[in-house]
Amino acid sequence: MSTGSHEPTDDSPESHYPGKLASIIHLFESLPEEEKRENLIAYSEQAKKHEPKEGETFDLEDVRKDEECTDTVGVFLRLDAEKRAHFRITLGPQVQTLTKAMTSILCKGLDGLPIPEILELPADFVPKIVGGHLVRIRSQTVYYILTRIKSACKVLLNRQRAAEA
Amino acid sequence: MSDSTSQYAHPEALVSTDWLAAHLNEPDTRIVESNEDVLLYDTGHIPGAVHIDWRQDLQDALVRDYISPEAFAELCAKNGIGRDTTVIFYGDKSNWWSCYALWAFRLFGHTKVKILDGGRDKWVKEGKPLTKEKPKYPATSYPVPAKRFDKEIRAFYEEALAQSQEKKPLIDVRSPGEFKGEVTHMPEYPQEGVLRGGHIPGAKSVPWKTAAKEDATFKSADELRKIYTEGCNLHPGEDIVAYCRIGERSSHTWFVLTYLLGYEKVRNYDGSWTEWGNKVRAPIERSN
Repeated sequence: MSTGSHEPTDDSPESHYPGKLASIIHLFESLPEEEKRENLIAYSEQAKKHEPKEGETFDLEDVRKDEECTDTVGVFLRLDAEKRAHFRITLGPQVQTLTKAMTSILCKGLDGLPIPEILELPADFVPKIVGGHLVRIRSQTVYYILTRIKSACKVLLNRQRAAEA
Repeated sequence: MSDSTSQYAHPEALVSTDWLAAHLNEPDTRIVESNEDVLLYDTGHIPGAVHIDWRQDLQDALVRDYISPEAFAELCAKNGIGRDTTVIFYGDKSNWWSCYALWAFRLFGHTKVKILDGGRDKWVKEGKPLTKEKPKYPATSYPVPAKRFDKEIRAFYEEALAQSQEKKPLIDVRSPGEFKGEVTHMPEYPQEGVLRGGHIPGAKSVPWKTAAKEDATFKSADELRKIYTEGCNLHPGEDIVAYCRIGERSSHTWFVLTYLLGYEKVRNYDGSWTEWGNKVRAPIERSN
């Protein structure tokens, strides 16, 4: 997997994305199509590393099978003492490769962000990572994990607000 | 060839995983992977296999139709497929997309085609070799097909309508819920929904999966005859039209009827329910 030698600068188009995600976007944007696919495969092969670890506890667990995805996906969200979000994700065996890749990318790219920042994140970075071509031919696959992560964030935020009210 | 395979009308249209594993470098043969999962080939494929994507490679990028004969010739040439090359298709999802690709090759008159029985899932489950190495074959000079065989193996809306009005056999291969009109798309495919649910009047519901075993291989000739010949009263010389949602599952049934049962006049209505269920004033039937 390429590691990306160039970080986005303050005036680069990626600078309005959070740091870790901006680096991933920048890396993918710099790659030709073939290497982009190779990197997506490499990320997809890392998906298992983002499953919950023994003994971990979470503030929210959302495991379900939706129509939008070919198998069950579980999103596990934990907030640290500074209210920064950390995600673990489980994927059923029938989940497609692009979904696996987006799982790794988002678990890494969104790690440590505050929930409001995740909720405000526009989805327009997804085509920058997977390429407009793959989005066009398999649009149902590429946004699903981001939608699930945002959904988990929203539920937890609402719970917190209700508890504080 | 096993005893059960030899009972099919065209047993030569199927190869087993064991046969293919022992014949990976067969001359004048090209193995082609076609999947729903667009990156699956890149994660590892049968050694020597090339990748043909049903949407990117076989469909026109602008109009809802297949590529031109010129583009087909170019696609074959760059994958080292000649006019006389035997193409063995395999893929995920019980070979839906590989049957679809095979059917598209037949549209362009390429008749030397086969399916790997059980597809990718069986190959992987058996622990047979996979590689990430993408093969490069010398380009061929595939002649531009003089015609596309739409009339012979493809049905358009008007033809499906005529089939319905003349009470000729129409096979709806979608899930029972889609047939009944309870849902307007298959689970996992909401973006391919339609405005109206139901089925073409007179169509019989025979879900594609009826023809497949749990390991994604095809059922025996006897079992298939019980389903289609006896169960649906379909006869080999009849005009038969099969449809689903976008033509991929019905390609599976088209393959079964054409190659495994030897029916001679089977057409795939690839516009399928995404065309019919959206068309103004198209007649629709709903049943329990």
